[in-house]
Amino acid sequence: MKRFRVVLLLALVAALGLSALAQAQVTLSYRFWDINQAPAMEAIARAFEEKNPGVKVEIEVIPWGQYWTNLETAATGRNLPDIFWLNAPNFELYAGNGMLLPIDDRLAKSDLISIDDYPAALAAIYNHRGKQYGIPKDMDTIGLWYNTELFDAAGIAYPDENWTWDDLVAAAKALTDEANQVWGIAAELNLQSGFGNTVHQAGGYIINEDRTKTGIAEPEGIAGLKFWTDLIHVHKVSPSMAQMTDTEPVSLFESGRVAMYFTGSWNAIRFANNEYTKDRVDVAVLPKGKERAVIIHGLSNVIAANTKHPEEAWKFVEFLGSREAMEIQAKTGTVIPAYMALQDSWVTSIPQFNLKAFMDQLDYAVPYPASVRAGHWQQLLVDCLIPAWSGEISIEDAARDAEAQIQEVLASEKR
Amino acid sequence: MNKTGRLVVHLILIAGALLMVGPFIWMILTSFMSLGESTRVPPVIIPSELRWQNYLRVFTSFPFLRFYWNTFSTTVAKVVGQVFFCSMAAYAFARIRFPGRDFLFLLILSVLMVPSQAYIIPRYLLMADLGWLNTLTALTVPGLFSSFGTFLLRQFFLSLPTELEEAATLDGCNHFQIYYKIFAPLAKSGMIALAIFVALWSWNDLMWPLIVNSSPLKMPLSAGLSTLQGQYGTDFPLLMAGSLMAIAPMILMFIILQNQFVEGIALTGSKG
Amino acid sequence: MSGLPMRGGPPKPFVDQEVRGKGVDDVSGINKKKLQDWFWAYLMIFPTLAGTIIFSIWPLLQSFYLSFTEWGAFGFYEWGGTVNFERMLGDSVLWQSLRNTLVFTVGSVPFGIALSIIVAVLLNTKIRGMSTYRTLYFLPVVTMPVAVAMVWRWLYNADFGLINHILRSVGITGPRWLTDPKYAMLSLIVVSVWSSIGYNMVIFLSGLQGISKQYYESADIDGANAFVKFFRITLPLLTPTIFFVTVTSLISSFQVFELIFTMIGINSPVIRHTQSIVFYFYRQAFVNMDKGYAAAISLVLFVVILGVTIVQFRLQKRWVHYE
Repeated sequence: MKRFRVVLLLALVAALGLSALAQAQVTLSYRFWDINQAPAMEAIARAFEEKNPGVKVEIEVIPWGQYWTNLETAATGRNLPDIFWLNAPNFELYAGNGMLLPIDDRLAKSDLISIDDYPAALAAIYNHRGKQYGIPKDMDTIGLWYNTELFDAAGIAYPDENWTWDDLVAAAKALTDEANQVWGIAAELNLQSGFGNTVHQAGGYIINEDRTKTGIAEPEGIAGLKFWTDLIHVHKVSPSMAQMTDTEPVSLFESGRVAMYFTGSWNAIRFANNEYTKDRVDVAVLPKGKERAVIIHGLSNVIAANTKHPEEAWKFVEFLGSREAMEIQAKTGTVIPAYMALQDSWVTSIPQFNLKAFMDQLDYAVPYPASVRAGHWQQLLVDCLIPAWSGEISIEDAARDAEAQIQEVLASEKR
Repeated sequence: MNKTGRLVVHLILIAGALLMVGPFIWMILTSFMSLGESTRVPPVIIPSELRWQNYLRVFTSFPFLRFYWNTFSTTVAKVVGQVFFCSMAAYAFARIRFPGRDFLFLLILSVLMVPSQAYIIPRYLLMADLGWLNTLTALTVPGLFSSFGTFLLRQFFLSLPTELEEAATLDGCNHFQIYYKIFAPLAKSGMIALAIFVALWSWNDLMWPLIVNSSPLKMPLSAGLSTLQGQYGTDFPLLMAGSLMAIAPMILMFIILQNQFVEGIALTGSKG
Repeated sequence: MSGLPMRGGPPKPFVDQEVRGKGVDDVSGINKKKLQDWFWAYLMIFPTLAGTIIFSIWPLLQSFYLSFTEWGAFGFYEWGGTVNFERMLGDSVLWQSLRNTLVFTVGSVPFGIALSIIVAVLLNTKIRGMSTYRTLYFLPVVTMPVAVAMVWRWLYNADFGLINHILRSVGITGPRWLTDPKYAMLSLIVVSVWSSIGYNMVIFLSGLQGISKQYYESADIDGANAFVKFFRITLPLLTPTIFFVTVTSLISSFQVFELIFTMIGINSPVIRHTQSIVFYFYRQAFVNMDKGYAAAISLVLFVVILGVTIVQFRLQKRWVHYE
């Protein structure tokens, strides 16, 4: 009998005790997706806390594959983290629906930062209808990463700025060793670091400037896509779509199973920290197709419109945009900082990699395609291309499917 | 059965047992491998050393202790809550006659027929309206009540003899006292069975926490493991170390309370 | 979310246990004692009743409403009439996911049940180490589905997984279990069977122990062998248990989610060939943020489960033997 009473008591205690513990200080949540950047973000948060006693920053990492689902679910429940990363394709959706806090007034009064510290094109991405919502955090372009050990073994010269698509295909063929399951390149299905670049290099576009039309099924668009599917199905120099689903391309590259890999400047720190890749890989500019092109992008830090602590949240975002925080990002090699004066210090941060290649491409860089519902149509686009990547349907058919679906979304945006 | 027969039965059962336990053994072995060892061809079966750092990495790269606490505290609260609320309601439905009893019981029972997906969206919106998203309250409160538990325990109370409450009533006890002093202790085995079920469901549930708690600091182990996989898709030593730590408490509980587990499940299969 | 086990039969009739105490002889009908009883009864059912209504029944009714709404971003929605149901008719992916769910169910439930009966019958022969075997077979039941899916994803890995390593050692090149459309569903079914054997086995064991020994003794006198006894006695007398396990297994396999979420994932080339209706529901509700359409899908799932269960109970008379 006594025991039962104890259980009852425990029930009460558990029920009451579970309600949140009262907290005297302000706690800010800061959510982002890249675990490789967590150490730098952690360091910035600690530096901020030191300067702002009574404010605590809790870092929340949600992996890329779940980030946007997670964020939209949170936004629907009006439960966004105080501060979080946003990218160009998703920005307008959040800004346009009143999910973000405009920062113009606070920015104008700031002693610490000015909008002129960042590239104008980058800052403009996070401006919606004349209001600024985000402070640029970083900048990225895509590079051709390659495994020097495999190149040496095959006796081929490393990629350089004169490379064309044909050079890449020829090298990939020489590097592929099917018996040992080594592939010349990983034809990852990826808009930002993959086919988005080649579509532009073929002279095409993903969506036009007034966002009314997609160019994915135009002859140039198809040429840009076919570059990748040919690598898998015609030249047979890439792992299959199935294989790249079993083991992510980046892991294949990191285990020496793939000799070349298109990926962004944000992965430099990952490769520098990896035991295998840290002194076996390097990077070059993307090869030239019909013309030169690379996708440029940059993230920004934004504040949730309904944050309980707008003042503290702004202070943290301001600090994230400041020279001190940007320096931490740059010196650790984490990312190219959005702070223009510091970009060179990133280039030298990981001396064994030719990081200059990422900056060399700025002259012909094209923006990451964005529109009100870009996050949505990008998912549809990838869904449509999967069967072509796995060889079930032709790339032309897949592109036409995608075109129809994207047009529908673009039309709905105008309504 | 003769000797050969027994031998054959043992062989079949051992082969089956190997298939059942094999994945767990492989999980343990992998959790001690280095990333390189785990992806070697031909495979490494026995890791060259016990790399406890894989376990350590789970804690350093994710708020795994928080995941533990979130799962543990919500599970305890749900078990205690359901056992208490369900047994109380079950007693009333089984031993007291009152207007609307059959209707109300059927109303509660009807929920058993409905897949949880059919009410999960409005339930999530309700949590949002209450401001409960990203709290342990959202994980706990909807799980404090259960049609299943009420039904199971009602069957129990129905099978007890009438004389029990007669004496108590003569002593001037009210129904809550009768339930609390006489019936609840007698339904112990049913309550333990319910507690085990609730603990299992609560510990293992994925979809609900995935929806209501978007902050990793408020996630239970199941959702936390899933983010771990999203982050380290092919780092199997790390993933296996994390998985093992997530399942160990339930397996331990099972080994300790084995007979109660088995009886509890048998009970749901026969009491119908 | 695993389905709640259902009861294996219609609820038993209520047994009235009305307490006869002081004041019952009062002729006025409603007396003090009765009012007290009612008071306590309502008080004691209140938490469960309120909780069930607030967190299950009311939301269920709201789902009906939501299924007639069209959703924009971040929870803004408007009345859409039957637009979601019209969309369903033309949504080939929905129908395929329904078909996938059926294939999964038909593939996993009968196998799971057959294997667990065999194990239960073998364990019921009073052999040594019975409880050790039972423990081992039961382990997957207490293991978190996410962890189960994770270890199997590792075992199935085409390049480094143990299964293909073993196949390779006997000269077979194993397939890509989880990314080849020909094998992915089979792989899921195997895992589902693996993780359900223990649970069903325990229920069958208790069913077997309920069978009277007399049947077997008289069969022995007739000189029946083990197989005859199994098919003539054990199986027929086990049918009520089989019925119960079938109903519960069907319901939970119609709701399969974790396995697909963890082992296949949304960007897999085989997701179309493997996604279940609950996965598709999750995807519409929380990835595509189309909660109106998702609500409509959840109602279809409800109707399908209800329909299958009713059919089960109808067919029950034909094959279930109650002693």
